Amino acid sequence: MKTAKHLLQSAFTAALFSAVTLTAWAQPTPGPDQSRSILILGATAHLGTGDVLEDCAVGFRNGEIDYVGRSFQVNRQKYDDILDATGQHLYPGFIVTNTTLGLQEIGAVRATQDQYEVGTFRPNVRSVIAFNTDSEIPPTVRTNGVLMGQITPRGGVVSGSSGVVHFDGWNWEDAAIAMVDGIHLNWPSTHHRHRSDGKIDIQRRKTYDQQKHEIDRFFGEAQAYAAAPRGSVTDVRHEGMRGLFDGSLCLYVHTNDARAITEAVHFKRDLGIERMAIVGGYDAYLVADLLRENDVAVMLQSVHSLPRFADDDVDLPFKLPKLLMDEGLTVALQVDKRMTEMNSRNLPFYAGTARAYGLTEEQAIQALTRNPARILGIDDQVGTLERGKTATLFLSEGDALDMRTNSLTHAWIEGREIDLDNRQRQLYRKFQTKYGAEVLDSPAPNQ
Amino acid sequence: MRHFSSLLLASVVGAWTTVVSVTSLHAQTTDPTFPVNGTHDKALVATVLEHATVHLDAETTLEDGTVILHRGRIVAAGPAATTSFDGPAMRLDMTGLHLYPSFVDIHSDLGTPEAQSAGWSRTPQDLSDKKGAYGWNEAVRPETSAAAVFDPSAEAAKALRKAGFGAVLTHVQDGVVRGTGAVVLPLEDPREALLAPDASFHMSFRKGSSSQNYPSSLMGATALLRQTHLDAAWYAEAAPRGMAGGTNLSLDAFVLSNDLPRVFSAGSWKDVLRADVTLSEFGVENAIMLGSGDGYQRAEAIAETGHRMAVPVDFPSGYDVSDPHLARMIGLNELKHWELAPSNAARLHDAGVPVAFTAHGLKDPGAFLSGVRKAVEAGLPEEVALRALTSNPASWLGMSDQLGSLRQGSVANVLVTDGLLFASSTHLVEHYVGGNPTPMRDRHPLDLTGSYNVNVDDSVYVLSVQGEPGKWKASWTVNDSTEVKVPLTLDNRTVVLRLATEEGPIRLTGNVWMESRIWEGSGQTATGQWTDWSAIRNAEAAEDPSSEDPEAVATTEPAQDAPEDLEAGAPTEVANVTELDLSGVVYPFTAYGTPERLSAETVWIRNATVWTCEADGVLEGADVLFHDGALVAVGTDLNPAELLPAGVTPVEIDGRGKHVTPGVIDEHTHIAVDRGVNEGTQASSAEVWIGHAVNSEDVNMYRQLSGGVTCAQILHGSANPIGGQSAIIKFRWGAEPQDLLYEEAVPFIKFALGENVKQSNWGDGYRSRFPQTRMGVEQVYYDHFIRAREYGQAQIEHRAALRNAKRKDIREGRGPVAPRVDLELETLLQILNEERFVTCHSYRQDEINMLMHVADSLGFRLNTFTHILEGYKVADKMAEHGAGGSSFSDWWAYKYEVKDAIPYNGAVLHNQGVVTAFNSDDAEMARRLNQEAAKAYKYGRVPEEEALKFVTLNPAKLLHIDHKTGSLKPGKDADVVVWSDHPLSINAKAEQTFVEGIRCFDVNRDLVLREAMRTERARLTAKMYNAGQSLGTGTLKRPSERIQSHYHCDTLTDENR
Repeated sequence: MKTAKHLLQSAFTAALFSAVTLTAWAQPTPGPDQSRSILILGATAHLGTGDVLEDCAVGFRNGEIDYVGRSFQVNRQKYDDILDATGQHLYPGFIVTNTTLGLQEIGAVRATQDQYEVGTFRPNVRSVIAFNTDSEIPPTVRTNGVLMGQITPRGGVVSGSSGVVHFDGWNWEDAAIAMVDGIHLNWPSTHHRHRSDGKIDIQRRKTYDQQKHEIDRFFGEAQAYAAAPRGSVTDVRHEGMRGLFDGSLCLYVHTNDARAITEAVHFKRDLGIERMAIVGGYDAYLVADLLRENDVAVMLQSVHSLPRFADDDVDLPFKLPKLLMDEGLTVALQVDKRMTEMNSRNLPFYAGTARAYGLTEEQAIQALTRNPARILGIDDQVGTLERGKTATLFLSEGDALDMRTNSLTHAWIEGREIDLDNRQRQLYRKFQTKYGAEVLDSPAPNQ
Repeated sequence: MRHFSSLLLASVVGAWTTVVSVTSLHAQTTDPTFPVNGTHDKALVATVLEHATVHLDAETTLEDGTVILHRGRIVAAGPAATTSFDGPAMRLDMTGLHLYPSFVDIHSDLGTPEAQSAGWSRTPQDLSDKKGAYGWNEAVRPETSAAAVFDPSAEAAKALRKAGFGAVLTHVQDGVVRGTGAVVLPLEDPREALLAPDASFHMSFRKGSSSQNYPSSLMGATALLRQTHLDAAWYAEAAPRGMAGGTNLSLDAFVLSNDLPRVFSAGSWKDVLRADVTLSEFGVENAIMLGSGDGYQRAEAIAETGHRMAVPVDFPSGYDVSDPHLARMIGLNELKHWELAPSNAARLHDAGVPVAFTAHGLKDPGAFLSGVRKAVEAGLPEEVALRALTSNPASWLGMSDQLGSLRQGSVANVLVTDGLLFASSTHLVEHYVGGNPTPMRDRHPLDLTGSYNVNVDDSVYVLSVQGEPGKWKASWTVNDSTEVKVPLTLDNRTVVLRLATEEGPIRLTGNVWMESRIWEGSGQTATGQWTDWSAIRNAEAAEDPSSEDPEAVATTEPAQDAPEDLEAGAPTEVANVTELDLSGVVYPFTAYGTPERLSAETVWIRNATVWTCEADGVLEGADVLFHDGALVAVGTDLNPAELLPAGVTPVEIDGRGKHVTPGVIDEHTHIAVDRGVNEGTQASSAEVWIGHAVNSEDVNMYRQLSGGVTCAQILHGSANPIGGQSAIIKFRWGAEPQDLLYEEAVPFIKFALGENVKQSNWGDGYRSRFPQTRMGVEQVYYDHFIRAREYGQAQIEHRAALRNAKRKDIREGRGPVAPRVDLELETLLQILNEERFVTCHSYRQDEINMLMHVADSLGFRLNTFTHILEGYKVADKMAEHGAGGSSFSDWWAYKYEVKDAIPYNGAVLHNQGVVTAFNSDDAEMARRLNQEAAKAYKYGRVPEEEALKFVTLNPAKLLHIDHKTGSLKPGKDADVVVWSDHPLSINAKAEQTFVEGIRCFDVNRDLVLREAMRTERARLTAKMYNAGQSLGTGTLKRPSERIQSHYHCDTLTDENR
């Protein structure tokens, strides 16, 4: 076993060495399919189930977890390679929801933007086929433990369909976990700001009733279409909506307002939509009972954001996860404020703040793992460290929710060990050579 | 320059016993220079208003007085017994009525064109479109004369007269420099109305209708105002000698206005204080300031300025708070303003500010008097209110001899009322303006109240009438029990009523005789039969009609039975603490303001982990002691008794398990700024200073104090290569804008490179302003700095020339003319002289390198590169040049020029010997800068002690304030944060944040404040709810959400109109 461990470490060193010496600028090469079974021993495993295992043993082969237990219980002989991870923390891969990673490369360069399509209702527009696996941003995100993302289109009233990907693959087909997981509806605001005589008033939007009517009609038609026998003529928009009415897709309603959330919940009931999540949900704590009773989850706005109103508690955005979880709601975190793409790497720290403001450690981890997996409908595959689940997980030298200690040593996606290098690390190493200076990284690739 | 109109002045001067003789008047018509179409009006007949209660002014009242008006003037005012007119006179009995001087409005736009905002343009306009030899900027319009364009509409003039105004100072309310105002009477004929054509000179911070880009910000408007003053002073000297480079009619007009009273249309109290800063610079000590009605929030500070305030009465109406979700959108400051606004005048007066009321802001001037009455009800003494309506504005205009009192010689402006002016039941009856009457009610209206026996068709009905003129309520009693309403109207002397008898309605019309004792006339029965009728008032005293005023009812304190749960979302665990009463003025006037100003404490933090950011490093189990705003000692086992002055006992904070650090310093922020962070309309805006636009009421300061921030540099944006001057502020929560400015700070300026200054992302309309490339950016610097150097040289030469010139020549105005003071070049010259330091927004290594070369070749040093995301590529060059770096920890991918940004940047810069800081540029991230510092460890393994300095000592060094702050060292400012945990950990919360010993944030007081805010909101919400029972009447507004502009470097706005 010692030999096996040694071998594994040598393999890592070789891989890292080659990364250092490669001069060509390229995105990290996707990991090779898992050929050797791996057993991680001794780490503190945060299972995503709410449980934590000290001195764990987590084994996986052929991309699938086949053992979760304590290190003294496991049969080590079954595994090709043993990884001693004593002192480290093991997590299921984190999931960033409602992101445009891979759809937009550079905010100010229009040619690199693929998240906004034209039109008001376009459920058939789907994001995954535009997910750029060679984007330079996801490698900087997965370096911090965020290994999966819900790639989400923007704009319009129904902006389109999101899908879920792993941040590793030769193309989107490889990367996809779910080609389509749901439909995104931007709920029109019920009230808007009106300025006259230098004063700002909130007025009910004159267009709201018309917009709501159009939404009702579009969804009503889609429901009728889905209920009818398939005919010879296909409406691709209605086809795209079909899954909402059989429970296979989730309806994501983007809004922060209590009034709009309330309207959306009635909409869910009226149409008999099984699965719904509120995206944003700043006001969700005001209507938590309604959400719980109607089984509506919340994909909460950026934890690191400012209070909406001056009079709000200064730490309200920090403690919203706690307020909502205390109400029994399923809460996932996301990054919807400025610079979503690059900020996705800070998602673990959003959970860290939520923990500092009331969540337990395992609740905070669930907000990045099991909860989003449930909402996205992929919890049969990912989100927890359990037997039979996909081996998408990572090891950190310390607490992954704190920037002080978040320091990945290994990460696997579907059992494939992924290269934690990225363009930024490459540039760092390149310019340290200019200064003849030591590369001090986490983990230091040259050590 | 000041012309007073040629309206006839009465030539008679006399004492109380006054007989005005017509022969002593020049017998001529009112305008001899105009041909008369028809026969001449000789205006011989005087108007004598006799036996009134005459309020000559706020101080003097005659119980039985007479005022005589003739030819537009008051020719006599005195006791009725001794005041008469010896000539043809129309004598009007004013018994029971009151005569007041008409009101004077110091801030009106009567008869002037309204300024239409041009709005944001897709393409820039750099210079003025105005034809003629005028100045370069459309917002500077000193050549505008209100008198020249004065053309009032009959409706507007009449509305003012009916509101009680006898004279207004009107001006064209457009631009930063607005030209002269005119004192006019609200009459239709401009020749009759104009009293003083050029009576005042007007300024503001608002750009108005100008379609030019500059100025787009408050600070730009301020700079434009300052430069205009300087230009005018220079022009006055240079132009007569032909050395002004041509004629500039705008500056000509400005110079000619020098002696006129200054009226500044400011707005909020912050703008009043800002206007004071600029006006004081140019020696204007007692301007007339237009407020927005919030001056009460800082009345003492306004009093200190010595200026006088024009006070509006357009008090906010209530909000519709019926939906508790929507009600959250009303800020506590707005709720409080709703309650406190009527006390504005009283609080200003109490603080010693001279006030005058203005109808400015009222859509309908008819609401003016009720607004003033509310101010009186809120505590303003009546005589002060009367002065504020009359003699104050008159004297401010230097026109007390003509306006503001009922003195002989004054314009015949007399307001007639049926009672004391400020009583809510009093009506305006008649208004003489320039001697012209505007009737509003009957002088002696019939009082119908009483009980009448109505004889119709052989029947007698007992009719009861109550109410008041115009609002009569009548009824008759059937069988001594049932009251039946009787529709009754009185039109002059004709009374019309309708009796619903058992046989059907009888309709009656008739005349009222003998002060309403007898009515008689004819009527028609239900069957169409004509009949005569009469009514005789019964002898018994009429029932006193209710004098309750509906307004008085509305403003009375309502019962406070607020539903306790109006405030949704408040914490459920109600700590039973409401130690803070937030019902009065709070500091600052926003959320988390406190009723008392905070003051410095003496504090002894014991047994904590102390991050000194000094050579001592991190001390375990150590103490920090501070007193009077400064650190006294840092170390273990301190003995305060030895260290503090005798008798001073420190407050102790148990530091066990806590970490103590210096206050966090943000090298780059854009919070706490009003109306624009960019004056990006020109390639250089070195003349603007963000210190002119500091907003002390920004709740983001409090939010950041809760994250340990104590000090920040507020930077101009990055829209142009040479940006504006920055302001370094301490987060002294509750202090006024100018008091936030850090006294220890040295001057700084913002530069910028790259995409923003090239206007790369502004759309295709912005392809014309130089520069469009990085190549052009370099030349902007060379061109400007070379000009600045030459400008400095010209000043040196001028001083030499002055030394060599003959005294006599100088005395007689033939000495050398000084070079024009150019605020932009002055600023750049300071940089060359190393009296001002540069913080340069920068991303790419090429441009960073370029700018260091520019500086090297011109002989100055670049102090700081901010953002500097490719600094890691040229860290060695930066170290050699001596530039520091203030970076983002991990931002990238938002624009093309940050493609190569890496989170290791800070570590590389630091390791190469560059003084390195992490900044926010973001209101949200700024409150977690300690976490950003942690990323210097995460990415590049900067030791944690050094990483913390990225947000404390290093930014202090970059800002040249490290001698006073940035570390915990005796003698330095007591800028101290107590953290709950390791300061670089995501778990750390700031528990106390001290700014110069002032506990600006305390996690426990924060909870008390939240509770107090909740209580205060509930009280005000209930009061508003009760006051607004008539929801849906259109008088209540929907809640308004405070839009908070969160500025970033590239925030381009045009919000100073």
